[in-house]
Amino acid sequence: VTDDATAAERIGLDWLRSAIAPVGAFGRRHDDGVVPYGPGREPEARAEIADVVALAERLDPDGVARVRAALRAVPEPGPIVARARAGDSLGDVDFYELGRFVDAVAALGRAWDAASGEPERRPPPLDGLRDALAPGRQGGGFYLTDAFGDGLAPARAALAAAEAEAEARREAIAARVRDATGVDPVGEEFVVLRDVYAGPLPPDVLVVRETPTYRTAAIRVLAPERDAALARLSVEEEIARRALTERVAREAGAVSAATGILGALDRTLARVAFAQRWGGCVPQFAPDRIAFEEATFVPLADALAARGHRYTPLSLDLRGVAVLTGPNMGGKSAALATAGFLCACVSLGVPPPARAASLPLLDAVLWIGGDGPSDRARLLSSYAAEVVRARDALGVASPRTLLLVDEFARTTGPREGRALLVALVEALRARGAFALVATHFDDVAAAALVPHLRIAGLGERTLRAIGTHDLDAALDAINAAMDYRIVDAGEATAASDALELARLLGLETAIVDRARALFDGER
Amino acid sequence: LPRSSSSISAPEALYALALGAARSAIVVGTAKNAGKTTTFNALRAVAQRRGVAIAVTSIGRDGEPSDALDAEPKPRVRLVPGTLVALPAGLVPRSPALAILDAGAESALGTTVFARVMLPTTCEIAGPPTARAMRATIDRLRALGDGPVLVDGAIDRIAVLAGGDDAIVLATGAASGATIARVAAIAADAVARLTLPGRDPARERERVVIVTGALDARDAEELLDGARGATVVVEDPTRIAVRGALFEKLRAAVDLRCERPLRVVACTTSPVGRDGALAPRALVEAVARATGLPTFDVVADLAA
Repeated sequence: VTDDATAAERIGLDWLRSAIAPVGAFGRRHDDGVVPYGPGREPEARAEIADVVALAERLDPDGVARVRAALRAVPEPGPIVARARAGDSLGDVDFYELGRFVDAVAALGRAWDAASGEPERRPPPLDGLRDALAPGRQGGGFYLTDAFGDGLAPARAALAAAEAEAEARREAIAARVRDATGVDPVGEEFVVLRDVYAGPLPPDVLVVRETPTYRTAAIRVLAPERDAALARLSVEEEIARRALTERVAREAGAVSAATGILGALDRTLARVAFAQRWGGCVPQFAPDRIAFEEATFVPLADALAARGHRYTPLSLDLRGVAVLTGPNMGGKSAALATAGFLCACVSLGVPPPARAASLPLLDAVLWIGGDGPSDRARLLSSYAAEVVRARDALGVASPRTLLLVDEFARTTGPREGRALLVALVEALRARGAFALVATHFDDVAAAALVPHLRIAGLGERTLRAIGTHDLDAALDAINAAMDYRIVDAGEATAASDALELARLLGLETAIVDRARALFDGER
Repeated sequence: LPRSSSSISAPEALYALALGAARSAIVVGTAKNAGKTTTFNALRAVAQRRGVAIAVTSIGRDGEPSDALDAEPKPRVRLVPGTLVALPAGLVPRSPALAILDAGAESALGTTVFARVMLPTTCEIAGPPTARAMRATIDRLRALGDGPVLVDGAIDRIAVLAGGDDAIVLATGAASGATIARVAAIAADAVARLTLPGRDPARERERVVIVTGALDARDAEELLDGARGATVVVEDPTRIAVRGALFEKLRAAVDLRCERPLRVVACTTSPVGRDGALAPRALVEAVARATGLPTFDVVADLAA
């Protein structure tokens, strides 16, 4: 969509990517492998968006949330299966993790059914892997039970018998220790105080340490049968693990297919959840028009909602290049961002949050205006940063790019700035690019022979009656009084309502009145 | 009481003290090789003898044949069938196989795995690396089994246990001092800090000073200068970072308390140190006198 960090931030692309991020590892991996839709891929983009919109309408949001929670809980089997395919012998913890994967996919399937999801999208049940692990899976855990190998039961019985025999021998020695010394040899080592017993220790008792006051001793039981039984069991368990690993390896294809389906489902449901939260439409794809009705710049709407404010949807019909003027705080930058945001949405297969939209798939969305972190890092002034951006943008401007120009040259002399902006707009028009150019300079549209749009603004709804120095109240009042609609400007000049807004924002009345007098006099 | 005059062995008596009223007991040491793992194994042996299926884990890595830092020999952890164990995936023995029940926090050695021993086995145990994960591990072991949970712990990582019902056993011995008097003094200092009483609104002094974070030597000096007689409250006993005479002076001057107390129930002694050995009976008696806690030598079967 854009390689430029400033543009990504301004049009809410970073926010959007975060909002539609898959919840699970499979979804993230799937997403990483999907290239954003560009020119020529309109049918694919439309199909994905239509699918998301249909699902958003049909599925219950709570059901979607439950399926996404189930997706989040699915563990990653990939590395384990890869090791099995490579010929490693898996361990019991690996088999346990694969069992968890099978269980989690089954739980996801149930959640999907409960959400009334279509059967064809339902994650596969992984019967082969489940059956392979079944003999070891009681209560959700895993144990390499005797069922995994014919040699396991006799080997375990032999070890148990050898252990019992060794323990009996140890206990016999311990009894001799108790009889001889009065000390109960609990544990691997024990101490015999010399003032309790100083005589010789019984056979098979080794002195580990001696001091003037005590001896530390240990019972040593030689149990070659036990060692042999343990070695035999070890061999049998490895044979069983090897056989089970081979069965797991044979299921690699099914596991890979399942994780692919989970990844795709995760991506889709992330978009469905977004559409259920913010609404969205299936757009028309038109190469010559960026148009939308009642669209929401969601990052801003979300921020406003968090503060209890309402967002006013915007409508725009942009064909080629247009100049946008209007009052300060009237939403010019938001209008630019909305255009970029909606184009980003369709590029990512996300229903644009609008009542209706007609949008192109673009090669790039670029932002010119102000400076970004990379500009500051290069020690560029605001003006220099804008000029460099304009230079670079003109280098790639084409009918498949959208340039969002936000008050270009506002930090230089107004006459030269205006002239430069007019020239820039003419150049963009000549290249056939999409561009929406917000400015306070007068008569740029007429000079560059492009349409002139304006934010309706405060208009007749004057705010003189409101005299508050409470900033929040002032912002609320402005929001309530502002008409954010984008309309054809006709012959209107680039009115900014700057004096009225300054008064409302609490600037000293005498200063505002003096400014008004000066302004009226100049007019 | 010396073993000769008691009807039960020192390990049995310690087990009853530690796990009579608690579902979990954590053994911590005043120094490396203070007999912590020996105490842990003695408690385990008592449970085994009683036929009680226990759960075990460790704070940090333990159970290796020798200590990773100083190559001193360390007791191996022998586990009997039925034992629940929490250990990293990387330390799960391949044979005899364990029954894997659950998985928990990540550590450098892999996911913490909860497993049940099916055939006798000897293995290395290492618990999760963080205090919070250790608390979760203990709670999970409690939930997975009916028996007590034994933790081979570390004195600097028990803050997470504060306010809980876990019993703490303090292992001390020749590894922490060259003389019996020195070992006893160190044990007394540790016990005095770890047994800091909990806050009691009914008995608080007129002035209450809350110390957030660690109470260090500088804080102690300030309290001695300006808060004598006040009730001073820290979050838990491990926040006390002053030792020895300064701590004693502070404790005498203020009513030192904590929000979340620890429950230290007993001490154990190990007479064997790197540079020599102490007399077992004299050591047990000295530590008991100095700490005021029941004290055991679980190897020599002594109690005081």
